[in-house]
Amino acid sequence: MLINCPHCGTRPIEEFTFNGDASPQRPQSQDMNAWYDYIYLRHNPKGRFDEYAHHSSGCRAWLVVTRDTQTHEVFAAVTAKDYARERGTP
Amino acid sequence: MPDLFIRVSPLSDIAIQGRFGADHGVPGVMFSLPAPSHMVTVIARKGKAKALAQALKNFDARWAGPDQYFVWGEPYETVSGKLKGLASCSDQSHGRVVIGIVGPHVRQVLAKGSPIDFHPAEFPVGKSALTQMAHVGVHVTRVGADAFEISVFRGFSESFWEWITEQAEEFGYQVT
Amino acid sequence: MTGFRLDKGGLIDRTTTLNFSFDGKVFTGFQGDTLASALIANNVHLMGRSFKYHRPRGVISAGSSEPNALVTLREGGRQEANTRATMVELYDGLAARSQNRWPSLNFDVGAVNSLASHMFVAGFYYKTFMWPKSFWEKIYEPLIRRAAGLGHASKEADPDKYEKAYAHCDLLIIGSGPTGLMAALTAARAGVRIILADESAALGGSLLNENEEIDSVSGLDWALAALSELRSLPNVTLMPRTTVFGWYDGNVFGAVERVNDHVAEPSPYEPRQRYTRIFARRAVMATGAEERPIVFGGNDVPGVMLASAMRTYANRYAAAAGKSIVVFTNNDSGKRTASDLRRAGVHVEAIIDSRKTAHLIVDVKGGKRVTGVELGNHRSIPCDAVAMSGGWSPIVNLMCHRGAKPLWNESIAGFVPPDVGSAFVAAGSAAGHMLLSECLADGARAGTMKGRVPAVPKCRDERFAVTPLWWVKESTGKAFVDYQNDATAKDLPLAAREGYRDIELAKRYTTAGMATDQGKLGNVNAIAILADATGRTMDQVGTTTFRPYYTPVSFGALAGPFVRHHFQPVRKTPLHDWAYELGATFVEAGLWMRSSWFPMDGEDWLAAATREVLATRSGVGICDVSTLGKIDVQGPDATEFLNRLYCNTFSTLAAGRARYGLMLREDGIVFDDGTTSRLAEDHFLMTTTTANAARVMAHMEFCHQAHWPDLDVQYVSVTEQWGQMAIAGPKARATLQKIVDDITLDDTSFPYLAARPVSILGGMQARLFRISFSGEHAYELAVPADYGSMVARAVMQAGQEFGITPYGVEALSIMRIEKGHVAGGELNGTTTAGDLGLGKMMSTKKDYVGRMMAQREGLQDPNRQCVVGIRPYDPKGKIRSGAHILNKGDAASMAADQGYISSVAWSPMLEMWVGLALVANGRSRHGEIVKLFDGIRNTLTYGVICDPVHYDRENIKLHA
Repeated sequence: MLINCPHCGTRPIEEFTFNGDASPQRPQSQDMNAWYDYIYLRHNPKGRFDEYAHHSSGCRAWLVVTRDTQTHEVFAAVTAKDYARERGTP
Repeated sequence: MPDLFIRVSPLSDIAIQGRFGADHGVPGVMFSLPAPSHMVTVIARKGKAKALAQALKNFDARWAGPDQYFVWGEPYETVSGKLKGLASCSDQSHGRVVIGIVGPHVRQVLAKGSPIDFHPAEFPVGKSALTQMAHVGVHVTRVGADAFEISVFRGFSESFWEWITEQAEEFGYQVT
Repeated sequence: MTGFRLDKGGLIDRTTTLNFSFDGKVFTGFQGDTLASALIANNVHLMGRSFKYHRPRGVISAGSSEPNALVTLREGGRQEANTRATMVELYDGLAARSQNRWPSLNFDVGAVNSLASHMFVAGFYYKTFMWPKSFWEKIYEPLIRRAAGLGHASKEADPDKYEKAYAHCDLLIIGSGPTGLMAALTAARAGVRIILADESAALGGSLLNENEEIDSVSGLDWALAALSELRSLPNVTLMPRTTVFGWYDGNVFGAVERVNDHVAEPSPYEPRQRYTRIFARRAVMATGAEERPIVFGGNDVPGVMLASAMRTYANRYAAAAGKSIVVFTNNDSGKRTASDLRRAGVHVEAIIDSRKTAHLIVDVKGGKRVTGVELGNHRSIPCDAVAMSGGWSPIVNLMCHRGAKPLWNESIAGFVPPDVGSAFVAAGSAAGHMLLSECLADGARAGTMKGRVPAVPKCRDERFAVTPLWWVKESTGKAFVDYQNDATAKDLPLAAREGYRDIELAKRYTTAGMATDQGKLGNVNAIAILADATGRTMDQVGTTTFRPYYTPVSFGALAGPFVRHHFQPVRKTPLHDWAYELGATFVEAGLWMRSSWFPMDGEDWLAAATREVLATRSGVGICDVSTLGKIDVQGPDATEFLNRLYCNTFSTLAAGRARYGLMLREDGIVFDDGTTSRLAEDHFLMTTTTANAARVMAHMEFCHQAHWPDLDVQYVSVTEQWGQMAIAGPKARATLQKIVDDITLDDTSFPYLAARPVSILGGMQARLFRISFSGEHAYELAVPADYGSMVARAVMQAGQEFGITPYGVEALSIMRIEKGHVAGGELNGTTTAGDLGLGKMMSTKKDYVGRMMAQREGLQDPNRQCVVGIRPYDPKGKIRSGAHILNKGDAASMAADQGYISSVAWSPMLEMWVGLALVANGRSRHGEIVKLFDGIRNTLTYGVICDPVHYDRENIKLHA
């Protein structure tokens, strides 16, 4: 699988470290249920999926890679910074 | 800091000068170990990326990540003084070992380790990249048509040297 | 014709004679031969024994699909089993051996299996070796393994080099036949960066094997001219001897190049094989088509081979498969073979074309060599070889590696590749376009990246028409579907009757399509016979799953250079030379080599470490601590960042001071610890444990970029910039005083937890930290790495008068256990700050990673296991790390478990074994006598729970 790092260009998957679903957001509240969901609740979708990937053997940026879990097609890779700014605080 | 003290490169004992590997024709590549110099990590402060890029035009600055550079050849004190307010600077002069590699087979040698396409159309002179070769993180810069400079963490330099020189054996190589 | 080598023709160099041996017997061949062609030219057709029945087998094909002629090459560490004789380039001195026979290929005891063949029907393993169960491991399995099998791997280390590489191109062309060459020429002339890969040593594909005509010259000459043009272009990379074995996500192709398999011994500087990952913007599958056998009685007798293979041996290798040939075909390929053979002077006795006659071959006569065939009308025809053609199958494998299935095409009677998008297209006969003119047109189309497709040369087309004939049901002899697995035509209807109708199940039940050739020749026949037996169409039955590797790839190529000392990189500290000079024993810690102990006069590790502890605690010791992770953290928001990362507060830390910090994971469990020093208002130096250095860095990057992208903070690892040494013991201060410039190291100017730049040795800029892991009055001195060993030597010299002793991680570990400091055994991914006795560090005044989840009820439970000290009840006794702790009266059981011992050391100061343990509600149990159960060594002893600090509880020495 190839990922088009916004900083480095196209690199193979072995340069990246994955860290799971990017959609849960760190809660701002003290609601324990929200925290339990954030820490433990994960969906395992078939199809389009936003996933954290660290370009650990490259520029060291955290990315959010959107890919199809079934076909492995990679649709996009954006920096986690931009992803975080885009969606704002929960 | 004036070099009052003798810097001992971790490769000083193993990077022996001479001709190695296949011994027909001109060497496929030549390896060199530039004398230890200065290298400073420079990272732009928030909102200062453009100003920093501008300021770095007066330095030998090599891209090393988003809004981040290695500045070569000038001591930490000088670099951090000149970039005050624009960037955070960290001395890496002793932390990284630089290996120069030049020659007609240089791309074939690099291709044995790095997934980067080093074709000149994709990777022109002056371009730098961070990647991995033989499980070691490397910073690589094209400094000429057939010439690259690679830096690795000091602690891995011996392992990396042994590996990359072995990859050049089939073409024959010279250590200068 | 003398013997079986044709007098003229072929692409062999008759001036270069090569000697080789097969099963010890010496033969000669020519440069350009394969092992198979050379053996055929020497009239050797018996090349192997079959897997199950040990039937004599000869070569079937002339290429990589070969199921029968599997041989073992070379000797010793270079021995390689299961190589296809059809793909082995002959070289002088080649030694090949047949496989799966005993005592010899000619007389094989295992062939009695054939007499009992009624037993060996589909699923016989499952049916025969069911019970008694106890027989399976000791009797059945070894028996089956010995009787049925392929070659043996060498047990010696392979002395040759293997390499890995990456390659990039705009267009990858797989296959160098007419289609591939036309695609390559088209793309190369347009300036496109191309790679042309082919599994054969010589590029040209079928043009090397066939009599064709292109542009009014022979197909061969056209190919040679095309190759010569391609070689002259800088944008072309030709990769002969390269099998593209797999298609992966992102249009990445796996390829293995047999760089030096064609020489007796590779140069020590060159690899035997190279594994290359090819990143292709686009790719063309020009892999051609594979001829199929026909399933009829005796279709495995040596001398029966594919029609195209027989004419390839004649045309390309000038080797005749026999003196008198019978051709059996259902398509036009048979006729072509007959005319090529006749042109070469070989007698063709008969052509049995199933489209023209009802009297088909029902059996082949002969054991180790064909002597004749018998037709359905009982007519016998004497001959010494049979050429068969059951039609053509496009080689679709690569295009199906990512899940797409091929589609049945009735007009060519073959499966054609699926549409997988424009990045990877099939062309020529691989796409089911069987005429040469179609191949050239397809190639030109596939090689055009943009603009108009150029005109293609004119050529002569051979007829292509086929009427399926899958199985001569009237066969009297055994009719094989899958040669390598000895699966016969009757096995498939049997599998269907027993319920294994699905092709994937039928494959596993009958073993048709398994083993090293993965059914390249037999699968379509198997599908057709299963379709017939179950009343389904070819599409309804479908194919089994195509997976990499297209042909077998050696472990050597997969491992590449990453074996032996390159298995993983070694990481050495800046003090390595210093420690090495002093005779240190090194230990691997992650990738680091750390000095573990410094033996003197034949000491073992414990004696050495004990001496090192005593010397440090009574005088002064020096230890390499360079491996601790060091992260430079700077910027206006550096303080805020650290406050959020650590559970304790860093905003209150003054410049020039160090503080111990504890990081939690977001789930509330302890992640890492270390001291962080404030070098300036907006500049910190964080240290991490050696083990977690990379993880902490990645965690910081994640928190910053994904959670708090607007913090103005910059950080980078400076671990490798500094050589760092701990100088510990009552004489540490006096030792260091001798090397620091312009500073008096007293408690006023350099108090406990001071952290400041200092000048040493008359001008070297260093950093000094008054911190202690050993519990002694101690410092850590950091110097630029290239000076590390030199400074360590200088410190040794300065401390000589105090008896300075180098100590390693063993002594370090003993001293931290004596002091009750937690390390990896306790920071083990299950413990909370409270468990470690560090609960008070957790700030209540700020948010930080792990704060909310640390408040969970389960993590607050007073009965949680927490850190305590542990000692043997008998002071002379020994305790062991890992032993479980039980209440005094309880027997060992999971339910009674109270915890376990996490760290243990022989304390030179207390002269007894001491340890740390994690014990339920441990802090309120100091003084309690407990049982220590070591289930691995099966020992049961008694211990006493105590305070974790075994030595100098009042920290008198620390502040001395």
